[in-house]
Amino acid sequence: MEMDKGLVSGSMALLVMKLLEDGDKYGYQMIEELKRRSDDTFHLKAGTLYPLLHGLEEKGLVTAYEQEAAAGKPRRYYHLTEQGGAALREKERAWNVYARAVGRVLKGGACCAGA
Amino acid sequence: MPERETIQAYLQTVADQIRWKRARPVVTLELQRHLEDQRDAFTEEGNAPEEAERLAVEEMGDPVAVGAELDRIHRPKPQWGLLALTMLLALAGGFLRVWLTAGWDDGYLAVDPVRTLAAVSLGTACLLGAYFLDYSFLGRYAREVYIAAISAGLLSLWLSPKVNNASYYTRYVALCYPVIYAVWLYACRGKSWKGLFLAIAGGVPLALVCWRAPSVLGLFLLLVSGLILLLAAARMDWFGIGKLSTAAVPLGIALLTALGGYGLLRRGYGASRIAVLLHPETDPKGYGYQALMTRAILTCSRWMGEGAIPSMSCYERIVPNVDHELLPLTIIFKLGWLPYLLLLLVLAALLAWLLFRCLRQKSQLGRMVALAVVLTLGLQTVSSVVLNLGFVLFSAELPLLVGNLHTVLDMGLIGLALSVFRGDAVARENRIEGTGRGFIPVGIHCKRWQNSQKDEKIFSVSLILKRR
Repeated sequence: MEMDKGLVSGSMALLVMKLLEDGDKYGYQMIEELKRRSDDTFHLKAGTLYPLLHGLEEKGLVTAYEQEAAAGKPRRYYHLTEQGGAALREKERAWNVYARAVGRVLKGGACCAGA
Repeated sequence: MPERETIQAYLQTVADQIRWKRARPVVTLELQRHLEDQRDAFTEEGNAPEEAERLAVEEMGDPVAVGAELDRIHRPKPQWGLLALTMLLALAGGFLRVWLTAGWDDGYLAVDPVRTLAAVSLGTACLLGAYFLDYSFLGRYAREVYIAAISAGLLSLWLSPKVNNASYYTRYVALCYPVIYAVWLYACRGKSWKGLFLAIAGGVPLALVCWRAPSVLGLFLLLVSGLILLLAAARMDWFGIGKLSTAAVPLGIALLTALGGYGLLRRGYGASRIAVLLHPETDPKGYGYQALMTRAILTCSRWMGEGAIPSMSCYERIVPNVDHELLPLTIIFKLGWLPYLLLLLVLAALLAWLLFRCLRQKSQLGRMVALAVVLTLGLQTVSSVVLNLGFVLFSAELPLLVGNLHTVLDMGLIGLALSVFRGDAVARENRIEGTGRGFIPVGIHCKRWQNSQKDEKIFSVSLILKRR
């Protein structure tokens, strides 16, 4: 399913930070993981991901370090900081409030349309 | 394949959008690795190598938009506030040196205004030069920098004129040794126990240069900041042998050195100097003279305005070096305690600001270099304050306020710390998290082949890295 770009871009930082909650990852891994977890709904371009990650690093929400990946190649891994964890919980809470509100409106609309 | 669809062309277009040159290689390396991963994945899916590369580039997104976005994030962090404060203190120091000594009878004591102006100008050039320098070269050429510093020390021991039985220029070279030691520690990272041994052994030649000068201040700065830098390296587990093991060795050596030093100081010349330090009245005409006179001047000083000396002697004839290392005493006597304390407060604020920024650095090399600078300046300040309170053990100059050559060097050191803060956004190490191990380049692999179908020549260069 092709998602509306505006809908996706606003929540991309939330999704990326959520991916890092389970463990440190490098950029390519994050894109693959996001595709897998969203059943190919979120096809994040690397050109969008890296500026986003560097921006999060600048704000202190993630840190980065070099480590050899499984293939033996050095990769830049990103790690969610404590500050990033707190920001993630806040974003998740705001997103859940928003999603519930949208859900209620859509349910109500379906109910009224059917009446 | 059209050139614009190759990985190299993509990276070049991204790099062209990034105005800060230092950020370009750091950013494009990460993108390159991603593109290569993506290309390999497409190749595994059955695509031809060229098609895989084209698809990988396509997947990445518009290089101009990506580059513009990265350019917005990766900008140097200007340090105008710290630069201005450093220059202001150096100017204030130069002005005070000239003004307070201008009317003195002994012409030779007066600080030459032209030389002072030249020193402040040269110091500003060093400050700005170091500020715009890419300090990361210290990490890339750590061994060369270390050898150059030892050579400079030996050369100064050999060629420098002797003043008060001490090699004049060596004490200035020694001021840079804590920074050099931080760089040396960086070079020893990731080498396990051998690295720790080399790290400690590397301090010995630097200490010997200070010892031979002799520069007690240089030795004091090197030993104290060297210990703190080693403990900082232990905290980051630079040698990969555990934080506690790394910290235990230098702490043990420091304890043994302190015990040995205490044993030596209990007898002979050392014992007499310590006795005079604590009770200068026991040697009023010899080693205790400067301390006694300093304390006498301090008792005659006021909170604001010039103090009054009971005897008929001129102030500048009573105490030696009141135009140099005891210039703070002159400030207290001529202007009062309050202006002196205000100056100290501004200097302390600069050092605290530098330390605060230093501890927030992402780059480990940057953090260590900045820490070495802060320690050098901080320990000089403490030593100078103690000296000017009448506790004379060794001479020490108040940073930025005392001495022409000292001011030049201190400004250069501060410029180096500010260069670290300025470039923090792109400061990255090839570090293995948790083990302190890193990568070293061991070679470059070049490959060239002919694409017979499209009559194109393909040329690739790979940097081969090896774990430390």
